[in-house]
Amino acid sequence: MRKIPVIALLILGLFAQAAYAAVGCSLTDPDRDVKRIFPASTGYKTTFVTIKEKGGEPLKKEIEEKFQDKFEPVYESVDVPYAFYTVLKGKDAVGYIHGVNQKGKFGGMQLIVAIELSGKIVDFYYQKMSSPEAGRFMDKKFTSQFKGLTLDGLMKGKFSISDPSVKSSEDFRATIRGLKKNLLLIDALLLFKK
Amino acid sequence: MSFVSARVLITLALIALFPACWALAEPEGFFYKEANLIAGYSSKDRWVDKNGMMNSSVGLEWYRKFSGEYGDFLTADLQVRASYDSKKNSTESWGLEIHNAWLEYKFSQYLKIRGGHFDPSFGLEPVVDTHSTLLQTLAEQDIGFNKDWGAQLRGAFPHFDYEASLQLGSGMSVRRRDDSYLATFRIGTPQGRNWQAGLSLLSGRVLQTEGMRTVPKNHLLSEDTITQERVGLDGQYLFGPALFKGEVAYGRNDSADVLGYLTELDYTVPSIQNLELQLQYKSWISDLSNTSTNDGWLTFGAAYKLSQSTTLRAAFEHDFGMMDKKTEDRFVVQFYFLGA
Repeated sequence: MRKIPVIALLILGLFAQAAYAAVGCSLTDPDRDVKRIFPASTGYKTTFVTIKEKGGEPLKKEIEEKFQDKFEPVYESVDVPYAFYTVLKGKDAVGYIHGVNQKGKFGGMQLIVAIELSGKIVDFYYQKMSSPEAGRFMDKKFTSQFKGLTLDGLMKGKFSISDPSVKSSEDFRATIRGLKKNLLLIDALLLFKK
Repeated sequence: MSFVSARVLITLALIALFPACWALAEPEGFFYKEANLIAGYSSKDRWVDKNGMMNSSVGLEWYRKFSGEYGDFLTADLQVRASYDSKKNSTESWGLEIHNAWLEYKFSQYLKIRGGHFDPSFGLEPVVDTHSTLLQTLAEQDIGFNKDWGAQLRGAFPHFDYEASLQLGSGMSVRRRDDSYLATFRIGTPQGRNWQAGLSLLSGRVLQTEGMRTVPKNHLLSEDTITQERVGLDGQYLFGPALFKGEVAYGRNDSADVLGYLTELDYTVPSIQNLELQLQYKSWISDLSNTSTNDGWLTFGAAYKLSQSTTLRAAFEHDFGMMDKKTEDRFVVQFYFLGA
């Protein structure tokens, strides 16, 4: 046991630097998802970005103001690296895909959104959904209603989509929150829109 | 390599690598540091600082996508740990463990080729991340290790994934004896769905080793391989806050028929979603014709996420000890950090 201090010293050195966190929500299989959503695509490029790298606390506050909500300290901290997928046709970008974790009623959900260059949603799906009513939420009849929506439309409530669940309205609200967060992060961290 | 030089080299290498995280942390990847501290008490070994094959350690992970004008074409992952086992003598207590160490080239979504150190294509292990968890899959009992050196082909079709691996059959350390090899194949439903299942096949001449070290090499228990043949089924189902996992493997070790299975329930507490409770039962029968070769492990676990990078875990395991007629109770706690 006399060698324990060596490990302790290493750990002290390790924590002496600022800590980023493990990746937030990446696609389980981007190859399949990219091709399914953008059949004409020929490839994609992955980038990992944190709010901390792109502006830190001031940027976080800016996003929160647009969000009209606060980020949750554990799962939405400034050091969460977000994985963005820029979808390519040849060398040209034709769209973007991004996923976020969102706290739901029964556990985490992973919301994946694909947008075209204009910002319109071309696909939305749950990569993970912790709800006894997951089937209702993951049903295409529900998720396809978000196609064509933009960040502006979501933020201003310009949509009429009903809660598909019987007893999980919290998860419907969490879905809307997660979608807004997702699109805001694409704007702020990938497209650098002010 | 002497104890002092090995320890000093590993320590210096890790200290030197920490500041490099900024240089390596590019948008196409990340560089993480890892700390894994384990402490506990066992009715058999008394105070312990390890859980199964997992020792207390510090380490790093470097993951990167390489892209050109036409997109990503190459992925690299390196997970390295400097581990410490207080139960070993001074020449064997420190070691360098290389976990994931692979490069993967993408030809298309249907075909990628990977080379290096990675999970064999069998059972739950390739689809469940157990790098840091106290609860492990059946791989350690079934194959003898959960990573091996070699090459792999894999791909994703609209309705299924496949992977096929050819590896050395040696596990953590790079060595080949007695024509060892490990060939595995798994076909499964796409990952990222609430319901997943897989069918696996295995054939190999596998070396039996002890310990997780890559450098210096872990302990080789025999110069002779064990001929293994297996068929396996695995599945996962997420229903609300509960995730069910299961796998079963049947086959042969030399001339003995073997059978193993695992069932696990992970439950996220809805009101405290940072907290996950786990219950697992594993059974392994190393000779179906001899009932005294049955063994079983029942584990209650809990994991509490303090932050995106830090998790506290605890587990109580009861080893039914049917094989050596000695039961064991073990309680361990773990502090785990993974961040840049």
